[in-house]
Amino acid sequence: MNPYYFASIALILIGFYAILAKRNVLKMLVGLSIMETGVNLLLISVGYVSGKSAPILTEGITPNNAVDPIPQALVLTAIVIGVATTAMALSVVINLYEKYKTLNVEEIRRLRG
Amino acid sequence: MNQYASLLIALPLFGAFLIPVLKKVGKNLVMPFLVLVTLIQTGIAAWVFNEVYTSGKPIIIMAGGFRPPVGINLYIGHFAALFVLIVAVASFLMAVFSIKAVKVEPQDKYAMLFLLLMLGATGMIATGDIFNLFVFMEITAISAYALTAYNKTGEASEAALKYVVLGGIGSSFFLVGVALIYGSLGTLNMAHIAQLASMINPTVAKAGLALLIFGLAVEAELFPLNAWAPDAYQEAPHPITAVFSAFVVKASLYAIGRILYILSASEGWNSVLSLLIIMGTITVVIGELSALRQTNVKRMIAYSSIAQVGLIAVGIALGTQKGLDASIFQMFNHAIVKLLMFLAVGYAALELGGPEMENFKGLGKRMPITAFGITLGAIAIIGIPLFNVFWSKMQLIMAALEAEKIGVVALILGASLVEMVYYVRLIHTIWFQGDGDKIRENSALALGMLLLIAFIILIGIYPQPFWDIMQKAGSDIFNVAEYIKNVPLMGVSP
Repeated sequence: MNPYYFASIALILIGFYAILAKRNVLKMLVGLSIMETGVNLLLISVGYVSGKSAPILTEGITPNNAVDPIPQALVLTAIVIGVATTAMALSVVINLYEKYKTLNVEEIRRLRG
Repeated sequence: MNQYASLLIALPLFGAFLIPVLKKVGKNLVMPFLVLVTLIQTGIAAWVFNEVYTSGKPIIIMAGGFRPPVGINLYIGHFAALFVLIVAVASFLMAVFSIKAVKVEPQDKYAMLFLLLMLGATGMIATGDIFNLFVFMEITAISAYALTAYNKTGEASEAALKYVVLGGIGSSFFLVGVALIYGSLGTLNMAHIAQLASMINPTVAKAGLALLIFGLAVEAELFPLNAWAPDAYQEAPHPITAVFSAFVVKASLYAIGRILYILSASEGWNSVLSLLIIMGTITVVIGELSALRQTNVKRMIAYSSIAQVGLIAVGIALGTQKGLDASIFQMFNHAIVKLLMFLAVGYAALELGGPEMENFKGLGKRMPITAFGITLGAIAIIGIPLFNVFWSKMQLIMAALEAEKIGVVALILGASLVEMVYYVRLIHTIWFQGDGDKIRENSALALGMLLLIAFIILIGIYPQPFWDIMQKAGSDIFNVAEYIKNVPLMGVSP
């Protein structure tokens, strides 16, 4: 069992808690970011092998003593997508604040039923 | 020659990048360009459909010439060919509708996002790699968030915020699922996963599969991750609402089906099926009961859409080929009917000043073709014989009986009964209440509606040829051994 798994799952749960429990929209988005970081850490730790180096071909690095490169490529993609989602969410929040003059999710409730 | 099918992905992408350039040339060119690109896409999709169904062989495109599982492949089999065509046709109709419906600036951004949405859905259907599926899912999702907020009202932003938060949770779940499956099998290619599925640890398979399904359930509007859907449907521009219902949801449902069945050889698979049946059942119940008390027509049809999606998910989760065929038939019919209904309702709302039930009084006298479209769509979706949805609901019931799930039969019949109540109320409001002056209807939109109506009746009267196509599409997903055989894996074996 890899100790990084516990750290990443803890981060995912902290983020999830923030999304569910916080009333401020910005805090919810911070929670979302923490959750994404946890997921990325989990992905990276799946490919981690203790004592091996990064999968970049330099002197002395062969396929035998490098870690699995695929999770690293996946995480790069996932980070970019996460940044795009966060940027999108923040621009929505700006618009929301202009229209409702509040960031409290309890008060942003015109759509229901 | 078959490699030209990759234009399905390339064309909308290049189209989207060309739009800012085009805007510099002339602002009025943007919307016609959108219609043109979607028309060409329809042509390519029709060619691919013809190619796949006449040869009976799937088209497999390998990115950069690397063979899977090293490279990423696109797999356009019977199912993908059919639904890529639906995506393209729906996009074309809605692009025409957009010229009339979207007056809020900036239109060039709208056109770009529209093309990206189409690209994302096409990619989700065509891809053969679970991480690539994630990327296409996020392209779809981010364009969908932006398009939901497009009208820039407070309500639209609120709907978009709900969508973003739920979508973010869903995509995180999906990635955890990908991590689990990659960690235990060491591959991301769907065919390769299917090949190794019998070796996977049952707990990992169950957890990974459940997480992947939860991630996709956001876009597929399955309970408990569908809270965004009615709000977004209500507040998004009218063509986008139709597009959500017609293919964004369907692409995610397909992905659920595909991922579910490629892991069907793993132990503990049946418990995931039960999970999906429970999710689908709750979705149907909540959707139908919420639709009953809506006064906003668009929101009402949105809830009805959610309920239909629940039925499709239940059909997928029956675990038999028959259930899968029936689900695909239902997906196909639902896409056509909801396209018609959202087009008609959106158009009526545009002319009458809003989608509230109040405004729809006397619609039958004021806009007869539009009112006819809504009525016919409503009758079809209830499942009256001689209309298309009747046959797919029939097949679903037969499949449920065959799988000895009597509860599902009761669910389908009960849902139809509730649908009857609120749709009859809508039809009554349209035809028997209120009065007003006649409005001249836009001929292009009327033509589109009449085409869809003709198609609905055609399937209703001659279901057999369509049912044959659906059975082929169903076996494309169900027959995993065939799927593994078709993808040229690079000499790897378990």
